[in-house]
Amino acid sequence: MKANPVLPDMATVMEVVEETSNIKTFRVRFDDEDVMNKFTFEPGQVGQLSVFGSGESTFVINSSPTRMDYLQFSVMLVGEVTERIHQLKAGDSVGVRAPLGNAFPTEEMKGQDVTFIGGGIGMAPLRTLLVYMLDNRDDYGKITLLYGARSPQDLSYQEDIAEWIGRDDIDVVLTVDNPDEEWGKNPHEKVGLIPNVLKEINPDNSGYAVTCGPPIMIKFTLMALNELGFKDDKIITTLEKRMKCGVGLCGRCNIGDKYVCVDGPVFKYSELQELPNEL
Amino acid sequence: MQALAELKDQIRKALPELDVVIGWQQGYDALHTRPLFIRSEEDIDKLVVNEFCVVNPSSYLREMRGGKKVGLVLKGCDSRSVIQLIQEELLNKDDLTIFGFGCNGVLNHAKLQARFGDIGYIESAESDGNTVNLVVAGNKETAPFAELCAEKCLTCSYPNTLQCSHFAGEESDKKAEAAQDKALEEFEQLSMEERFAFWQDQMRRCIRCYACRNACPMCVCKDHCLANSRQPKWLSEDVDVQNNFMFQMIHVMHLTGRCVECGECERACPMDIPIMLLRRKMAGIVRDVFAYNAGTNAEDTSPLMRFEVEEPTIEERH
Amino acid sequence: MACKFISNEDTNKWLEALAKDHVVFVPVEDGGSVTFRPFAEGRKPVLDRMPVRSPKEAVFPQTETLLTYKYEKDPENPERTAVSIKETLPRERAVVFGARPCGTRGMSVFDKVFDNDRIRDPYYATRRENTLYITLACDKVESTCFCHEVGSGPADTTCSDVLLTPVQGGFAAEAVTERGGKMLEASFFADGGDKCAEAEAVKKATREMLGEAHDYSDAPEKLMAAFDDDEFWEEQAAGCINCGACTYLCPTCYCFNITDEPTGTTGKRVRTWDTCMSFQYTLEGSGHNPRTVKASRLKNRVNHKFAYIPDTYDKHIGCCGCGRCIKSCPASVDIRAIVKAAQARSVKKESK
Repeated sequence: MKANPVLPDMATVMEVVEETSNIKTFRVRFDDEDVMNKFTFEPGQVGQLSVFGSGESTFVINSSPTRMDYLQFSVMLVGEVTERIHQLKAGDSVGVRAPLGNAFPTEEMKGQDVTFIGGGIGMAPLRTLLVYMLDNRDDYGKITLLYGARSPQDLSYQEDIAEWIGRDDIDVVLTVDNPDEEWGKNPHEKVGLIPNVLKEINPDNSGYAVTCGPPIMIKFTLMALNELGFKDDKIITTLEKRMKCGVGLCGRCNIGDKYVCVDGPVFKYSELQELPNEL
Repeated sequence: MQALAELKDQIRKALPELDVVIGWQQGYDALHTRPLFIRSEEDIDKLVVNEFCVVNPSSYLREMRGGKKVGLVLKGCDSRSVIQLIQEELLNKDDLTIFGFGCNGVLNHAKLQARFGDIGYIESAESDGNTVNLVVAGNKETAPFAELCAEKCLTCSYPNTLQCSHFAGEESDKKAEAAQDKALEEFEQLSMEERFAFWQDQMRRCIRCYACRNACPMCVCKDHCLANSRQPKWLSEDVDVQNNFMFQMIHVMHLTGRCVECGECERACPMDIPIMLLRRKMAGIVRDVFAYNAGTNAEDTSPLMRFEVEEPTIEERH
Repeated sequence: MACKFISNEDTNKWLEALAKDHVVFVPVEDGGSVTFRPFAEGRKPVLDRMPVRSPKEAVFPQTETLLTYKYEKDPENPERTAVSIKETLPRERAVVFGARPCGTRGMSVFDKVFDNDRIRDPYYATRRENTLYITLACDKVESTCFCHEVGSGPADTTCSDVLLTPVQGGFAAEAVTERGGKMLEASFFADGGDKCAEAEAVKKATREMLGEAHDYSDAPEKLMAAFDDDEFWEEQAAGCINCGACTYLCPTCYCFNITDEPTGTTGKRVRTWDTCMSFQYTLEGSGHNPRTVKASRLKNRVNHKFAYIPDTYDKHIGCCGCGRCIKSCPASVDIRAIVKAAQARSVKKESK
């Protein structure tokens, strides 16, 4: 831990990608090359992005540690800080505190099949792990991605998706609630709720399932995974809570005696069941 | 106490038709009561009515909306907040059953503390509306009621519950100790500079716990108060004189013509900041300018909630 | 422990001497209530009443500036605005004089949370290292006192550097830490003599006034067993008005908010006391809130002190028993009664 865990490092926005009408992706680099070169993190860990004058907010680092040209954060427009972040342009200064929190158990998952189930902005934490696994492809078994959003225009990471669809070592299925006229022409384009499509895909239940999305989607996805026979300690999700300090001090992200910012955000379903019912 | 027995009886009869009746029960020591939420027969006997029934039960009404049938045991001063809430259509009077009684005034913990040392050292205190008999560290003490009562009791003109469905016991014939608010009058003798210095010093003491706001029966915005809004941002999270003052002024302004002077804000303040001075001043202005007394007539409309080109009570300067 | 004596008169002189190179927080009369304020001329210490505010503010002020920032036009590229930040670590040396043992003990929770193997918060740790606690043992008890039930007592020395006990004409003084021992080398102190025995008698008498202690040791599991009993928590929280008085006055409540407070092109990032009793505390950007009702917020406050902290920190109860939350509660919510009800609730269930 750094000498001052609440003091951000200065960084600069290199590039801004407009993903959807309310999601933008920011690629940033630390200003101090030394900080940039020494920076390490693991897939699943988060960072605090600061715009001085508006404040800080927590986002998963959705780039992969295998590609350290920049750190990437995807930000959905929801409030005071995110509104200000959305105004950022390439060249603007931001503060970054990272890495924070725990990570996906990438070691433990080696040699196993992995099914990714992402909904909306919940694709961000999955992206980092997915890219990491694709960059270490031989370490993992069959990889399946099911990614859903309200409409085709609400799907982020279009460039990535196009690349993944082109690969033969990952199965990609996309689903939306509200299709447009173009949607459905390709076999990987489905219509329907994520848990239903998941059951349709019926992935092999011996491997890992990693899911993230809005609370209601997670709830039904967990039920579907159960039904499909996935083991509770092989279902992994990441939690979102209001966070401030990100280092286990300020109190607000607690679930019982656990803090999502240090004991999470990554939890196994079996671990979630041990926590008090306060999600 | 005759009234208490009658109250319990009336509540017992009405309870089958009600979801809850809010009153008071004995608290953790002889000097404290706490709110009582009567939901079953066995709760009724917990009801107490005494000089420490300071909480205004109508402050809990904002949590009880949505067609709940609520009974309230109210002092005269408390009942004014209900009338004001009905007037503002924030409550449906058909959902309410009010149990009234004659009040002989309540005691003020801050005054007890100032006089006898920490409140927790006082073993007991009883008032008949004229004299207070206390036991402090084993010694008997007496003091005139007027020196230890809530400030509002000194000028109270409504010792009996207004617009109640049931009234228990004898009406109180307790007269106001003074027609004018002495504390406010004395304060207004000070120069503008002195008054400003006074408030700056008081606002330094505010810890922005929002007890004043949350205890206020008229603060119905509840969890969505603009004091907590960051967009737009009216207040800094900085707890300093300027921001504390700003918050307190927001609170006062939002109560213009609505504040029934129940004094809950000041009583709830853990720092004992005399914020009722601001409210009494504001209520006085509303009385002077609009001839309006909040929370006394459910058919009225608060002056800042209506508009007339020519206000009948204001003489235009042409 | 070696015991010394300081007269009432010399105590004032001692405070004056300490105030030369420390901010000395003393309980003083402040608009009718007693609060800790820097010792200064005309501010007479009030030592026979418990301060309304807790001694935590000396090391954990309600507003702490974490950093300042400044936006400036980049001279080489006027299109671009550069921002610079400056860390603002506290520097002042302080003494807290006249806190009660319960209040001083509150720092033990802070110490565990803010300065441990995992993390060291430099703002807290710097202030803590630079602050001395001269604590005053109690010779009276109030109806809200329950220090003896949470592992403390009217002469508890936890987190103190010096413990004073009121005796005839002054105070018996005992050093608790090495730096406390250095303080007692000041010329104002005489040998304790028979004042030491008098002090021990005061401590014993006060402890006896508190009576038998209720046992909270099974509270963590009993509270967790009651976690999903909504009816229980709604009943306990019925009177609560969800203000922050209890948490702000509490010597162990440490939760905070971090916000940026701008003034034009400059500004500061501040950490301010926050309260789990507020709706906004857990409100997420999406609008989702895991604690929408006051019952779940009160549950968090009680559980944090009587279950989460003991579970995390080797059974150390996160409450110091000072009773401020009870005494200052506008609705007389009593945390003791809530925990006891949770303990009794399980007994009731088990006996069925």
